[in-house]
Amino acid sequence: MSWSKACRGTRISSYLENLHRTSLHSTRTVPLVPWSRYGNQYNLRSKRALWGSSSSFFPLNSHSAAAKSMLLGGAHRQYSTQSITETKSKKMLYYLTGVVFGMVGLTYAAVPLYRTFCQATGYGGTVQRKETVEEKIARHSESGTVTEREIVVQFNADVADGMQWKFTPTQREVRVKPGESALAFYTAENKSSAPITGVSTYNVTPMKAGVYFNKIQCFCFEEQRLLPGEQIDMPVFFYIDPEFETDPRMDGINNLILSYTFFKVSEEKTTDSVDNNSSVPVQETN
Amino acid sequence: MSTGGAFGGNRGLRPIPPEKGIFPLDHLHECDTEKKEYLGCLKSSANKSEQCRHLSKKYLQCRMAKNLMAKQDMSELGFSGVKELDSTGDTNNE
Repeated sequence: MSWSKACRGTRISSYLENLHRTSLHSTRTVPLVPWSRYGNQYNLRSKRALWGSSSSFFPLNSHSAAAKSMLLGGAHRQYSTQSITETKSKKMLYYLTGVVFGMVGLTYAAVPLYRTFCQATGYGGTVQRKETVEEKIARHSESGTVTEREIVVQFNADVADGMQWKFTPTQREVRVKPGESALAFYTAENKSSAPITGVSTYNVTPMKAGVYFNKIQCFCFEEQRLLPGEQIDMPVFFYIDPEFETDPRMDGINNLILSYTFFKVSEEKTTDSVDNNSSVPVQETN
Repeated sequence: MSTGGAFGGNRGLRPIPPEKGIFPLDHLHECDTEKKEYLGCLKSSANKSEQCRHLSKKYLQCRMAKNLMAKQDMSELGFSGVKELDSTGDTNNE
């Protein structure tokens, strides 16, 4: 219905259109064609004028004079809507750029935020080292916590490939109750004919129980040098937190395995004292 | 060692260095007798650590005496309730 109305004002509107175009320094000639024809001949502004003016037909009853004024108004409106949309799109641009920068900044801020979150909640096994073992022992002995569950701690010893050490636990297992500090031994023997330096690291399985396993003193993380043929005993002094018993996640766990692995740091040649440093992951000591 | 983030939990558990540090190695086997006593006790008591705690205390005291361990009060290491077999030169809880 609007098209029929539009067609009635075709002549006037096309004349006004020409005026409009020349005022905007358009170099194209506007053919006198019905408005239903869209194409490259019409630029967006004219289209807007078209729509602006055709939409203005709806509330009106009288046609040609009103159409003329409405077209003029449409031309004005086209300018004002243009500037409004320009400011709107500028605002949108600023807003979106701000969002982009905000996201990037959030990515950078996430690293320390995540770290503090993990430390506060202990999520993912992050250990909050708040008190030392001695403080813990003192606290538990004062409060008189009695532990009943007997936990079997088994020992495992490994040596890196190509390292000529015989490394075994001296005892297969130790039965200990949480809250009691216990001593265990490992035996290492250098079976080669050259002094070898090694460094060891450990882990505790099951992993979630590792939080409660405190090593008071051991032989790990530091380079240990063994002369050829030397056999040595390496003690581990550890303590299982009494809180192990009260943790519901540890309900089915009665076996812990403490596993040590020795890596070679260097092997000294017997003929000349040149160290061969093999590629070995040396753990950090705090 | 096991690396990795917090997805799925505990894969981020890194080995923690020992609280009191590293035991210097007993190259000269100075505390061997105490060690052997302790291990023998463990074997006889079916590996129960409780019954052999006094011997482990003795071992640690030997280490302290021979400068293989930092000297410390035994009660701080959890030996407050352990009674000595022989009371010569004890560093018991005061």
